Amino acid sequence: MNVVDATDRTEKQDEAEAPSLLTIILDTNPHAWNLLADTLPLSKAVANLLVFINAHLAINHANRVAVLASHSERAEWLYPTPAHSQENGAAKGSHQDGEDVDMGEEGSSAGQGGPVQSPDDANKYRPFAHVEHAILTNLRRLMSTTTPESLSSTPATMIAGALTLALSYISKQSQSQPAANMTSQFNYSDPTSVAGGNELNPSDSSKHHAALGLSSRILILSVSGDLANQYIPIMNAIFACQRLDIPLDILKLAGDTVFLQQAADASGGIYMALDDAQARAGLLQYLMFAYLPDQGAREHLIVPGEGEGVDFRAACFCHRRIVDIGYVCSICLSIFCEPLADGTCLTCGSHLKLSGYGQRPAVVPKKKKKKKRALEAGGMETPGSEGGTPAPA
Amino acid sequence: MADSDGEYPGSDDDIALGMNGAGPSGKAKDKSLASRPKGRAQAKWEAAASSNWELQEGADGSIEGLLGGLEEAGKRKRLLKDTTPLQRGIIRHTLLILDLSIAMTEKDLRPTRYLLTINYTIMFIREFFEQNPISQLGILGMRDGVAVRVSDMSGNPNDHINAVKTLRGQDPKGNPSLQNALEMARGSLYHTPSHGTREVVIVLGALLSSDPGDIHDTIKSCIKDRIRVSIIGLAAQMHICAEICRKTNSGDDNSYNVAVDEVDFQEILMSITTPPVVRATDTEAQKRNQAALLMMGFPSRIVEKAATLCACHGNLTRGGYLCSRCKAKVCNLPATCPTCDLTLILSTHLARSYHHLFPLRNWVEVPWTRARQKRSTQCFGCLAAFPSVPPADRESTGGAPGGRTRRAEGASESSRYECETCENHFCIDCDVFCHEAVHNCPGCQSSAHLPGAEGAEANGMDGEAMQA
Repeated sequence: MNVVDATDRTEKQDEAEAPSLLTIILDTNPHAWNLLADTLPLSKAVANLLVFINAHLAINHANRVAVLASHSERAEWLYPTPAHSQENGAAKGSHQDGEDVDMGEEGSSAGQGGPVQSPDDANKYRPFAHVEHAILTNLRRLMSTTTPESLSSTPATMIAGALTLALSYISKQSQSQPAANMTSQFNYSDPTSVAGGNELNPSDSSKHHAALGLSSRILILSVSGDLANQYIPIMNAIFACQRLDIPLDILKLAGDTVFLQQAADASGGIYMALDDAQARAGLLQYLMFAYLPDQGAREHLIVPGEGEGVDFRAACFCHRRIVDIGYVCSICLSIFCEPLADGTCLTCGSHLKLSGYGQRPAVVPKKKKKKKRALEAGGMETPGSEGGTPAPA
Repeated sequence: MADSDGEYPGSDDDIALGMNGAGPSGKAKDKSLASRPKGRAQAKWEAAASSNWELQEGADGSIEGLLGGLEEAGKRKRLLKDTTPLQRGIIRHTLLILDLSIAMTEKDLRPTRYLLTINYTIMFIREFFEQNPISQLGILGMRDGVAVRVSDMSGNPNDHINAVKTLRGQDPKGNPSLQNALEMARGSLYHTPSHGTREVVIVLGALLSSDPGDIHDTIKSCIKDRIRVSIIGLAAQMHICAEICRKTNSGDDNSYNVAVDEVDFQEILMSITTPPVVRATDTEAQKRNQAALLMMGFPSRIVEKAATLCACHGNLTRGGYLCSRCKAKVCNLPATCPTCDLTLILSTHLARSYHHLFPLRNWVEVPWTRARQKRSTQCFGCLAAFPSVPPADRESTGGAPGGRTRRAEGASESSRYECETCENHFCIDCDVFCHEAVHNCPGCQSSAHLPGAEGAEANGMDGEAMQA
C-alpha cells in the first residue's frame, strides 16, 4: 500500500511547478553607493533584497537562490558561501594536510547553504534565517576586507566576473537537476546527445526541456555606470545567457549602462531604471511586482519594459566612448570612434584603407557615381577611394 | 601476365577518373598525377577500427575511476584546440550546395540521406548565423545534372530555412554535376566584396559527377576567384573531390571529409560554422584590394505611437531602427540604409564574433602536488567540491603508472583544471562550459589583480593583441 501511495505522490510531484533558481548579482561598488547614500543606503537596499529573496523561496519549496557581490575589484559569492572565504576569515596558514580534507567536506556542504552557522531563532522559518545570515555575514566580511587603496585604484565594478561565476554555477546546478536537461544545454558540446539525428532545432528542444528542469534567471542590481572596459566579457556572458535561455533582469538604481539594457533585451529579461529618489524609495515594490514572477509566469503577464526603445550603441575600442556611428576593422571587427590616424588597426595591427564613404560629410550624388563605377569595375570597390587614404608609414 | 603490375596503378587511376566522368582522360590524368599528395594519410574509419580498447583495471580491481577519466578526457578532447589568436574571415560569403540526386535516397543514414541532410541543413543555417551574424549565405542544389538555386544570398536565416523546408516535399532525382554547381556558385560569389571570404560547402551523396566540360578548368577559375571549397562526402572518398578541396585551399586537404555516420556528419557540418582561418596568400590578396575600415552605424530601436512607413519596404510599422546618420527608419537589422547607404548593424552582431578572435586559453591539468600547494577544495566557478587531496605519503605510490589514480589521457588526476592566468582551479564541467559557451574565465574576470599576468591583461579587451 505504501508503495502504491509513494508512486502516486511522485507522479503528482512531476506535474508540480518546476523549481527555479534565482541568481542575484548585487553591485556593491562603494563609490556608487556613496552617491546614493542619502536616498537609498546599501543597508536598506539589502534589507529589501532579503525580503524579496524570502518571497522567492516561499513560492515553491524547491526554489533556490544564489547571491553574488560584484565589488570594486573582485566578484565574490555571498550565498552559498564558498569554502575558501571561510578559510580566509579564519586564522590564515598553519593548516595541516588533515585539515585540508576537512575543508573538502565542508565545501560539499557549502553547496546547500554553507558552513556559516546561523543562530537558531524559533520565530523565523529556518531557510530564511539561513540565507539571511549567510548573506549578511559575507557582505560584512567583504566590506571589512575592502581597503582604501583598493578603492582608490578603480571606480568600476566586476559585473563580467560576477556574471560568469553565476553562469557557471547555474550550468552546474541545472546539470545536476534530476530532470536531466543535459541534452538541451550541452548539445553544442556533446554531439552524441543527438545521436538519433532527428532533433530538428536545438532552440526549440531547449525551451521544452527548460520547462521540465530547473529554470534559472539572473537579476542584476546595478548602481555603477561605465562598464565599457569589460565590453567583450559582458557580451560573451550575454550570448551565453541567450543560448541557455536564461533571462537577465536588470534593475538599475543609478549610473548609465548601455550594455545592461542590451543584455536584458537580448536575453528576454526585464530592464527597469529607477532614476529618481521617489522611485528608489519603492525598491521593494518594484522587486516584488516586476521581478518575482519566473519565466513560466511571465508568459501570462504583461511585463514592464516591453514596447520601449532600446539603446543599441556600442563602445569604441580606442577611447571607450559610446558611439552610434563607428569605423569597423573588417579583419578583427574592432570598433573605432574616428578614422585611424596612421591607418593601422589598434587591435590587430593590419593596414586599413578607408573606403570612400569614410570622408565626411557624405554627399549623395557622389555616392551614386561611385556605385556605378564600382559596377563597371566588377565588384572592385577601392579604386575610387585611394586619394583619401592617409599614407601608411 | 607479365606487365600486370605496371598496369595496376594505371587502372586504378582510370577508376578514379571514371567516377568524375570529366574531360579527356589523358589530360586529366597528367594533372592528377602531378598534384597527387606524397603519402596517404590514414582514413578516419581506419583509425576507428584500429583503436584498441585497453581497459586497465585499477589496483583494487575497479574500473570506475578509469571510466570517469575516459569521460572527462572525451569532454576535454573537444575543448583542446589551438588557442593562438588567428586572423579569421569574419565577414563570410558562403554557398551551401546540397546533392539532390538519386543517390540521396539511400537509407544508410537514418531516415534517408536526403531527409537527414535537410534536417542538418536547417541546424547548420541557424548555427551559421549565430556564429557569423554579419555573413551571407546562399543555398544551391544539384539535381538532374544541373545546378538549381534553392535560396539566394542573404543574411536572413528564415529565408533559407523556409526554402530548405520546401525541399522536403520534393524527391531527389537524376545525377549531380559538380562542375555546374561550382560554376553557378562562382557566378553568385562574383559580386561579393573583396574584404569578405568566398566559400563553397558541398554535401555530396553520389559517387559520380556528370559534367558538361572539363571540371579542371572550373577548378582553376575557382582558384583565381579566391573561392574555397569544402566537401562533405556521405558515401566514400572520391579523387576529384579531394583534388577540388586541395587545390582551392592552397594544398590543404583537411576540408574534404567523408562522414562515417550521422553524428560524424553533424560534427563535420557544424565545424564549418566556425570562421575560417585566413591564410597568408589571402592576406596578400586582401592587401592588393584592401577596403578594410568600414563605416557602420549602430542604430537604437524606437517604438512609435503611430505607425509610419519604413524606408526599406514601405510597410507601415510601429517601430524600428533609425539610421544613425540620416534618421531614415528601417525595420530590420542588419541592413544597408536605403537613403544614405550606411551599413546598419547591431553592435551585438559584431560582439558575437569576438570570441573567435580573442579565444579563451586552454586550462591545464593539475597534478596532486599543485593541488596541495594551492589548497583548492572546490571549483572556483560552480562551488562543487573536488576530491580531497591524498596525504603526501600515499601519493607517491598512487601516482605511479598503473596505480589507482591513473586516468585516461587528457584528464587531470586531481579532477582540477587550472587557468594559468588567474591560477584558480575549476572542475571539468566548468572547463567545458567556459570554453564552449561563455568564452570567459570566471577567475580572470572576477579579480582585478591576476597573479599570472602582469597587469596589462586585466581587462580582456586589449590584453590579447591579435597577430596580423
